[in-house]
Amino acid sequence: MISAFTRRDGGKNALTHLVLIAMSLIFIFPLAWLVSTSLKPIGETMQQPPTWIPSHVQWHNYRDAFMYGSDQLGYIPFLLYGRNTLILCVLGVAGTVVSNALVAYSFARLRWPGRDLAFAITLATMMIPFPVIMVPIYGLFRNLGWIGTFRPLWVPAWFGSAFNIFLLRQFFRTLPFELSEAARIDGCSEWAIFRQVILPLSKPALSVVALFYFMQTWNDFLGPLIYLIDQRTFTLSLGLQFYQSQHGGTQWNLLMAASTIVIAPVLILFFFTQKQFIQGIAVTGLKG
Amino acid sequence: MSGRQFLFPLTALAVLLTIWYSERITAVPRPSGPVHVTYWEKWTGFEGDAMRDVVDTFNKSQNRVHVDLLTISGIQDKTLLAVAGGVPPDVAGLYGPNVAQYADDLAVIPLDDYCRKAGIQESQYIPAYWGIGYYNGHVYCLPSTPASTALHYNTALFAQAGLDPKHPPQTLEEMDADVAKITTRLPNGHIGVAGFMPAEPGWWNWGWGSLFGGRLWNGKDKITANSPENVRGFEWVQAFSKKYGATELQTFRSGFGNFSSPQNAFLSSKVAMELQGVWMYNYISKYAPEIKWVAAPFPHPANRPDLANQTFVDEDVLVIPRGAKHPDEAFEFIRFVQSQKGMEQLCLEQQKNSPLIAVSDNFWKRHANPFIRLFTDLSKSPNTTPPPKVGIWPEYRDEMVNAFDEIALMKQTPKEALDAVQARMQPKLDEYLERLRMRKAAMGGISSASARDALGGKQP
Amino acid sequence: MKARQRETLTALLFASPWLIGFSVFLLYPLMASIYYSFCDYSVLRPAVWVGADNYRGLWNDTVFWRALTNTASYALMALPLGLILALSLALLLNAKVRGMSWYRTIFFIPSLVPAASLAVLWLWVFNGEHGVLNEILRSKFHVNGPDWLGNPQWTKPALALMAVWGSGNAVVIYLAGLQDVPVPLYEAADLDGAGWWARTRHVTLPMLSPVILFNLIMGIIGTLQVFTVPYIMFPGGTPARSTYFYTSYLFDNAFLYHKMGYACAMGWIMFLIILTLTMVSIKISNRHVYYGGS
Repeated sequence: MISAFTRRDGGKNALTHLVLIAMSLIFIFPLAWLVSTSLKPIGETMQQPPTWIPSHVQWHNYRDAFMYGSDQLGYIPFLLYGRNTLILCVLGVAGTVVSNALVAYSFARLRWPGRDLAFAITLATMMIPFPVIMVPIYGLFRNLGWIGTFRPLWVPAWFGSAFNIFLLRQFFRTLPFELSEAARIDGCSEWAIFRQVILPLSKPALSVVALFYFMQTWNDFLGPLIYLIDQRTFTLSLGLQFYQSQHGGTQWNLLMAASTIVIAPVLILFFFTQKQFIQGIAVTGLKG
Repeated sequence: MSGRQFLFPLTALAVLLTIWYSERITAVPRPSGPVHVTYWEKWTGFEGDAMRDVVDTFNKSQNRVHVDLLTISGIQDKTLLAVAGGVPPDVAGLYGPNVAQYADDLAVIPLDDYCRKAGIQESQYIPAYWGIGYYNGHVYCLPSTPASTALHYNTALFAQAGLDPKHPPQTLEEMDADVAKITTRLPNGHIGVAGFMPAEPGWWNWGWGSLFGGRLWNGKDKITANSPENVRGFEWVQAFSKKYGATELQTFRSGFGNFSSPQNAFLSSKVAMELQGVWMYNYISKYAPEIKWVAAPFPHPANRPDLANQTFVDEDVLVIPRGAKHPDEAFEFIRFVQSQKGMEQLCLEQQKNSPLIAVSDNFWKRHANPFIRLFTDLSKSPNTTPPPKVGIWPEYRDEMVNAFDEIALMKQTPKEALDAVQARMQPKLDEYLERLRMRKAAMGGISSASARDALGGKQP
Repeated sequence: MKARQRETLTALLFASPWLIGFSVFLLYPLMASIYYSFCDYSVLRPAVWVGADNYRGLWNDTVFWRALTNTASYALMALPLGLILALSLALLLNAKVRGMSWYRTIFFIPSLVPAASLAVLWLWVFNGEHGVLNEILRSKFHVNGPDWLGNPQWTKPALALMAVWGSGNAVVIYLAGLQDVPVPLYEAADLDGAGWWARTRHVTLPMLSPVILFNLIMGIIGTLQVFTVPYIMFPGGTPARSTYFYTSYLFDNAFLYHKMGYACAMGWIMFLIILTLTMVSIKISNRHVYYGGS
């Protein structure tokens, strides 16, 4: 990819940096505050008017946040939450990649009656607000006896989702159809073409789908909130609420330290993959 | 290429292993030995620790039942979803005002039989606290810790304003006069110290009518939000906005720190008088032990001496959700909490008053709150105001709280705002009662069976 | 003929996860939720048919209308603001300068911070007396900022401003769209002596129009469902219900008031609103959106 702005002079460059830095200051604000609060003694966290620099830096907030609740429970909840979140991410990412690749392949490169109508309906489902189906879906999982297990949180990922099907279909359609024809003439089955021709060419698009899903699962709050019962099965985003207290007395500094630990992995992941990420979406193309 | 060949089966194997592992984690453990009772409680901090100690005492007192206490946030939604999902805890610590709603929805089981067998009865409790759990002829819950409210006032601010700190206002009229004397303005016209403001802390904004004898419904089928007494109560509220300026009060309030911090309006001596509960002492001793304060009965209208000692009573409660796996053992634990020993341990550590009539000398002696007898006496007053026991209370309360906002911000007159509440909630109540009847009719065929199940606590 | 059938069968096999997923996780819940919307239903008891009562009740429910108008006026502020800002940011982040991955990551950060932590931060920034925002307004611009959180007129603008921070996802999608703009077009524009603005106006924006439409639709769907941050920041939609949004009321009906049937009816109305708005935006944009092929 060649940038649209290849020719530029130093002055313009400096200006761009200046604007970018100014904007960055605004956008880094939440993180700066998060980190600053995470290092404060509890008394300073809610001080009016607020201060930016802790009177003394309390690094042990991070250890306290990490160990929070462990003396009562006999295990380190934070570790458990991390493990659970990872499990959900692994199972969900695997499922989402496999299922959406299969389905999108069918929509993009195979012919069947009613295909275009089915695709239109698929796109329309993106408009369904989650609250509409929340109650019946809960009832469904209850009837299956799945409440309190991880299954409601990862099994659906193995059955495709409209947005990802859309992304991958757009991508698959950009691959030359001659490739498939040649393979077909060689006597390859559709499955073989999919596995050996299409998938190896689709890494950027598949990573986008995987990354999107990973970040979404990592931060998902509502799903774990309604399906998980036992504290040992909670995820990180759900675990964060234990630092809050309904009668006041929230340990803000610990909550912020825990939040910092929780967002760090995703942030690092994004930093190292943002280029592929953006290009991955670009190659899928959002055009009809 | 040979590496690639193994990639697929290896990934598949890894996924399968993860699935197996995830199932193992979420499998319900079946410990041998004592029956494990799951107990969900909302408290954190020292209140949570207090209950944990009580649970430990219970667990050590016998070896048949072991209670596992779990701290759950958002306990109402969570309990509802767990009951609906068929995986409820054995005991849940709900809020008293939600019991009618949960009972109407058959989410909790009646405890009458258990109480009878255990010898737990009305006469042992302060009537206001027993009353909160008694609904439609059944006991649906028993108190964990109760509370009552009183006027808390800052004696230093009283003295500064030239008032006698030993004489808190007896009537609302005296109170208004005191507020005027205490309230100070900064050079820029903003409020410096407020004598009293109805919106701080704002936890009983639905109930100001009760100061004038107002009730929110007739206990059966009529909403009485716009009764003359209630309108009178909210006129009293609006008088503050009129006198001191709605915007001024709002701006002043936005400068207060978090409730649970030294910047709390009362603890930082910004507001001289507050309506507060028995727990306020805990915050004072934690964040501002140096302030001088006294608790006294909240004032009453001068022409209504019969309304003296008005107090809001409320309690956190223990219930057995429908579908609980071990209701009998669950009740054994509840019974322990209801015993004088268990209850005094809990209320001492949480520094609340006891809901029981029998209180040991030790309790009075060891209790840290210097006004604990006042709160206990107030809870026995004839003018207690519990939250109404009506299934639509959560919605009704939201509506009242909104009306309070409209009134305090001078957007509507009290009459207008309360008429609007009345006009909205009466049809809601009618519909609710009608639907209760319909549900009963729809479940008529199985009602006796399910009632038996409910009483026996077995899952239908 | 036989080959055709086999191809269809293969294709359906490939599509089967979605066919199953669609029926089980979407079609069935949708149908069930239509049914429940005509019922008295509390999840804890069997549903009882009540006809159109829930819809009639909504029509007469002042809080429902309040929540709807709140949501609409919030969306009217947040949508254009977010759309324009995300686009400008994307144009900026597409520049070829060093350290771009740092900048891009920074702009994505707020989308990753958990809502609970973010809400506390905003309470702090927008506080009328001591808030950082008003401090800046006072010291730098000598303006007395409004009471963002206490004055019902300012709460929605405050929320719309907060939403701007979360535009990272839209920025990423715009950025992706920008990679797709063919370089020869820019070269041609340069030959014509077009400046930055002319290039943006006549090349970038038209080429980006499908992506703008996509983000607009996603924005409509997301904005109308605004929930988490106001729900945490303003319990009960205070002050004076100015922050009580559609999804807040839907959620309260479902889980606080135990009126699942009512909540389902609300959900359906929302679906119809979103459907209509999407159709309208596609219709209107037909004239302005440029698709590569056509």
